[in-house]
Amino acid sequence: MTVDLSIASLLWMYALILVPVAIFFYLQLGIIRDTLFALIRMTAQLFLVGFYLKYVFQLNNPLVSLLWVALMLVVANLSILNKAGLKRSVFFWRLLAGVAGSTLLAGGWFILVVIRPEPIYDARYMVPIIGMILGNCLRSNVLSLERFYSGIRKNENEFTTYLMLGANLHEAVRPYLRDAIKAAVNPSVATMATMGIVSLPGMMTGQILGGAMPMEAIKYQIGIMICIFTAMVVAALVNIQLSLSVAFDDHQRLQQDIFQ
Amino acid sequence: MISFEHIMLKVQERTLFIDASLQIRPGEKVVVRGPSGCGKSSLLKCAVGALPAAEGIIRIDGTELKSATVAGIRSRIAYIGQEPVLGADRVRDALLLPFTFKTHRDRAPAEERISRTLDQLHLSSDILDKACKRISGGEKQRIAVARALLLDKCIFLVDEVTSALDPRSRDAVMAELFQPEITLLSVSHDPEWINACDRIVEIKNRQLQEPVADFTPPGGTGTGNQKPEINNADNGGAP
Repeated sequence: MTVDLSIASLLWMYALILVPVAIFFYLQLGIIRDTLFALIRMTAQLFLVGFYLKYVFQLNNPLVSLLWVALMLVVANLSILNKAGLKRSVFFWRLLAGVAGSTLLAGGWFILVVIRPEPIYDARYMVPIIGMILGNCLRSNVLSLERFYSGIRKNENEFTTYLMLGANLHEAVRPYLRDAIKAAVNPSVATMATMGIVSLPGMMTGQILGGAMPMEAIKYQIGIMICIFTAMVVAALVNIQLSLSVAFDDHQRLQQDIFQ
Repeated sequence: MISFEHIMLKVQERTLFIDASLQIRPGEKVVVRGPSGCGKSSLLKCAVGALPAAEGIIRIDGTELKSATVAGIRSRIAYIGQEPVLGADRVRDALLLPFTFKTHRDRAPAEERISRTLDQLHLSSDILDKACKRISGGEKQRIAVARALLLDKCIFLVDEVTSALDPRSRDAVMAELFQPEITLLSVSHDPEWINACDRIVEIKNRQLQEPVADFTPPGGTGTGNQKPEINNADNGGAP
């Protein structure tokens, strides 16, 4: 089992943040306030989650766990839309379907087919695994959606030329779709290629700190990486495809009022 | 036939046309003139549904431009913008790009046809293996024209398509686009091009007008001798 951190230990941990803050001050970066706000927010959110998860794990009720997963999906979806600069009112339900579908597909596969815990809805597996997949999907979806729509806006003449040369909407957006998917998955491909050498991944480290044997931990790490990668690719593709029908008008012109 | 009927066109909150009408007969060659920013390029884009007309009707060969017909209309029109986009890394891929799309997939031209078309535009076949970013602006324009010719279209909307060409290359492009079967709506500042057109249309007061005082009827290279037919708000425009 891990060594529990006392309040005093935590305070020592917070003391370390003074180093980057001092650097920001020295460089006059103007982001000290944002950094401290983010730190406070992270602390509050994690403590709340800690308290909540304690009860979720104790109850181990599939409905409560699913409710928590649904909340995570909604918050992740809102975050994707905000960061990608897309209007919530236009894209919310479509992107929620894409994020939920891909996350639950990959997470469900890992839990129901690979791990098969007893009981199958065990919150200790369901909540952290879905959470890890979702966190990574969030980053990749922001990248893919932002890259896709900014690519079309920046290359409007090129996009129009494709349409004029006889491309249908799906054919005309394909070059930008390719760029977007690449942008979304490239960091993960690099991470996978260097995993274990350059970095020790979070899930594996957490399990080892929790007392698991390293060989047991790496199997879970491989599993979660494949799940994350699959969910990221599926979510990036599905979300872009689902967004097309509301982002373009009936003449295949990109609508300008879909952006925040 | 290209027909604009009582068009109102706004671009970025700026009204370019109000109740503007114009009819172009099959085989007719028309050039649009007007001060910079008056909407010449926008008019061409409007005809292919790249810019939405707030009001009015556009018909191509009698078919009204709307969501159900836009794809079919685009497949009949060759549109070449002011700065042609080749859309591929290599010239060969750029020429064959439209034939990768479902609409044209079964009509890919033979090598001999490609060489002949390039030759007609005074381009060597060696250009096929060049990178698009390494060819000149004039070569890009002619590749865009060659691509449109390979698609066997009969309606051409071209925007300053000879702006980067020397007289010899321009004449070669004109020889192809001024064929009798081609209906041409163009934007150009080139006097030779303007003279060769059957009609000049000017954009004035957000209307499409035929200049009376300074218009010299085409002679020699023009293909048609049709009487100019401009329909503005006062005289309707339905075919």
